[in-house]
Amino acid sequence: MMIDPTNFPVLTLLIAIPLAGALGCLLLHRSAALCRWTALTATGAVFVLALGMFARAQGAGGWLAWEDCAWIGRFGIRYTLGMDGLSLLMVLLTAFLLLLSVLISWNVSRHAPLFHALLLVMEAGILGVFLALDLVLFYLFWEVMLIPMFFLIGVWGHGRRIYAAVKFFLFTLAGSLLMLLAILALYVLHGRQTGDYTFALAALQQTDVPATLAPWLYGAFLLAFAVKVPLVPVHTWLPDAHTEAPTAGSVILAGLLLKTGVYGLLRFGLPLFPEVARASLPFLAALALLGIFHAAWVAYCQEDAKRLIAYSSVAHLGFVILGLAAWDATALQGSILQMVNHGVTTGALFALVGMIDERAGTRRIDRLGGLWARTPVLAALLLFFSMASLGLPGLNNFTGEILILLGTFRVHPLWGGLAMAGVLFAAVYMLRLVLGVVWGRPLGEEPWRDLTAREALVLVPLALMVLWLGLYPAPFLAPIAEPVRRLLAEAPLLALKGGLP
Amino acid sequence: MSWTDLLALLPILILVLGSTTLLMVGAWRPGYRPLLLAGVFTALAAALCAGLLHPPLGEVARMFDTGPYGRFFTILWSLVAAVTLLLSLRYGEERRFPGGEYTALVLFACAGMALLSSATSLVGIFLGLEAFTLVLYILIAFHKGTAEGAEAGLKYLVLGAVATGFLALGIALIYAASGTFHLPEAMAAVSGEGRLRALGLVGWAMLLIAVGFKVSLVPFHLWTPDVYQGAPAPVTGLLSTGSKGAVFAALVPLAAGLGGGWHELAPVLWVLAALSMLIGTLCALAQENIKRMLAYSSVVHMGYVLIALLAAGAAGRSAVIFYLIAYAVVNLGAFGVIASLADGETEPQDLERWQGIGYRHPFRAGAMSLFLLSLAGIPPTAGFIGKFGIFYAAVDEGYITLVLLGVLASLISLYYYLRPVIVMFMSDEEAVPLHPGGGHEHAGLVICLAATLLLGILPGPLLDLIAAVVP
Repeated sequence: MMIDPTNFPVLTLLIAIPLAGALGCLLLHRSAALCRWTALTATGAVFVLALGMFARAQGAGGWLAWEDCAWIGRFGIRYTLGMDGLSLLMVLLTAFLLLLSVLISWNVSRHAPLFHALLLVMEAGILGVFLALDLVLFYLFWEVMLIPMFFLIGVWGHGRRIYAAVKFFLFTLAGSLLMLLAILALYVLHGRQTGDYTFALAALQQTDVPATLAPWLYGAFLLAFAVKVPLVPVHTWLPDAHTEAPTAGSVILAGLLLKTGVYGLLRFGLPLFPEVARASLPFLAALALLGIFHAAWVAYCQEDAKRLIAYSSVAHLGFVILGLAAWDATALQGSILQMVNHGVTTGALFALVGMIDERAGTRRIDRLGGLWARTPVLAALLLFFSMASLGLPGLNNFTGEILILLGTFRVHPLWGGLAMAGVLFAAVYMLRLVLGVVWGRPLGEEPWRDLTAREALVLVPLALMVLWLGLYPAPFLAPIAEPVRRLLAEAPLLALKGGLP
Repeated sequence: MSWTDLLALLPILILVLGSTTLLMVGAWRPGYRPLLLAGVFTALAAALCAGLLHPPLGEVARMFDTGPYGRFFTILWSLVAAVTLLLSLRYGEERRFPGGEYTALVLFACAGMALLSSATSLVGIFLGLEAFTLVLYILIAFHKGTAEGAEAGLKYLVLGAVATGFLALGIALIYAASGTFHLPEAMAAVSGEGRLRALGLVGWAMLLIAVGFKVSLVPFHLWTPDVYQGAPAPVTGLLSTGSKGAVFAALVPLAAGLGGGWHELAPVLWVLAALSMLIGTLCALAQENIKRMLAYSSVVHMGYVLIALLAAGAAGRSAVIFYLIAYAVVNLGAFGVIASLADGETEPQDLERWQGIGYRHPFRAGAMSLFLLSLAGIPPTAGFIGKFGIFYAAVDEGYITLVLLGVLASLISLYYYLRPVIVMFMSDEEAVPLHPGGGHEHAGLVICLAATLLLGILPGPLLDLIAAVVP
């Protein structure tokens, strides 16, 4: 256990830096360049801070940092932030991808100050989601993430951007409003049982939920998270949003927003309703498997490279949920690691497609081709990240998938076997992408610029991460070992601290 | 009437006397800006007086409450009137509104709302309600040049007269059943097992119909869109916030005092709330005119408030009051934006005219977006905390179906609240510049914007204050 000895509110700082940056962007809106640098500085500072926490944690269990103070006393709402290993990993991923997103969007010229302000507000929202331990605070950050993304898609998106933005907003809100009701019901129940009206996660976990009510409340939480993940019947917003969003938006959507769904399930859904949640695991597994195959199939049929990658996200998140549903230490560790892996590879693939789109002016696979001949370095990187995405041993997705499959196979051989076939499917659609884009005859004569320095600055760190996660994932597995143990043991979240702080 | 009575009524007296003085001054020395600014200061003085003065008695003439509850609303409506005047400054000047009359009427309406909110007797309710309704007839049709204004004024007049009829009859029946105008006794007569109890309940039902007209609950809402559309935008703001809020403020102590009788009225209220939320939402979806959309949205919001009023526990009553304040702040801001974008002739009511103005008038478009998101109940805005309080109160009292309907309405409502945002920020059309707006308007909008965010992020102090004053 390691609590910051100086009592320095480092978690608040993590959220406050991007917010201050966003304010700066709005104030400096006369100069786009200044805004860009402000955004870069803010995301850079957050990244350095997150990296520092990661370096200091060294796989320690328990709460690495914790802040708590009263907020809205009348409702018993508290401002509680806490970081354990799971949060740490997600915060690190957020800081990393947001920094890259700013770099990716360096050339955005339309309303650049607003764009960067929105990116920063989004960063604050996502970090808040990964840190909040009070249910209302969590809900607040959960909604705060929505608005910037709505604008990012709607203002800077492509083609049917408004349709995609509204659909994204409505789907997410439908889930989260029901979750709000469930939170309130839980609050009232707990208040009546104990007389202590609070939204603190640790306290609400102790609530004795009547057996008739629990499935409904859990269902509301599950729906909110399943929309974000997304699980199969409620995934239809994803291809539209991912495809129409600007590149940075797609990177954040795929890399981070989807993870908030899984994180919510791990942090809130499962611990709050342990029995019902355990009973729902086979159902989740079925949806996950359905997602793996359905998304792979649909991805294979796509003409738009970005849409193909969007569907591949659904399939990958299917693996993550499968690992969770297996309810086994190895599989669960694999799931969490796979969230990071997917963020890195899919982020890189979306960035690459964005770069190709900038050069070719199209993302249609049949109109691309011969990339190898025109921009060899870019093509090589696309090949590299595609291989990572389909799970080539030695690269990052392999480590996550193998852990998930091993763990699942041990508990439910049938699920594991089916999922194995899913890996094969992934190879099919990724290879089709590579085949269509990288090889073949170039469909044009004019020369294209190969990788620029700025683009290299985005892709090289991602490539290094792919190798690091693929070859030596231990530093990333260490922080989640203890949270996973705790989850599986269904130990109360705060037992390690000896009760409430 | 003794000195202590007058002292207790001082805030209201400031409003009324200020109003008549300004009317006279305006008649002899016509001006516009100085008179309106004097009106702003009069309203602020009344608010200050109500806040600082601790009157020696809690009730005046067995008609008006001058305790914390009444003074709380006097402050609130005075501030609303001040902001309304601030937002009308340029709008009225360019339309050549006579300053004395306009200021006097707004202040008088404010006094009426304050009286209604603090009424403790049926006569007080009637007096307060009619005081501001009569003023609003004039204010709605204040811009004499437009046909819409005259139509709106007439519509409000006719339906207002019907409502007044119901109100008077209801009061008569309650009086017949209880033998008193004073609310606590009148309510006791209905709650008990008196022989004339049925008569009393019919009276209460009539009273509720009148209330339904005033706060535009379905099916008494038909006047709302036309009146909203035709009235000058700042007046619409006042109509939408103050006049409806004051009626609910008068209902809160009634709900608290009626006890068992309230539960007998509950099924009626349940149906009214459900209908208002659903029909209001569906009608708002189809609107191309932003003022009409806001009119239907107000129908929906009054439905939400009714949910909290139904759940008449302490939590529900506090939720009603917080929601009224949040709604007042946000709606004043939204109509303020419309007023500030209006030129001397027309208001930009059709959504078409809002295309692309997000980048032409970023502050006001941004503020409007925030107000709309607040109406939709998205955090971190005042609207979210308000809705949170209402849903909490309703879940606590077990009105689950109604809450689910509320959630459904919120979800659908997002679509029409996002439409103006989309039009302002995501349209490909080049914006046609609208009026750049004046400094006072911007000041008024900054106040509303700051309040919207503050009540969304740090609502604690206000919630505590409400809990202290709520009956």
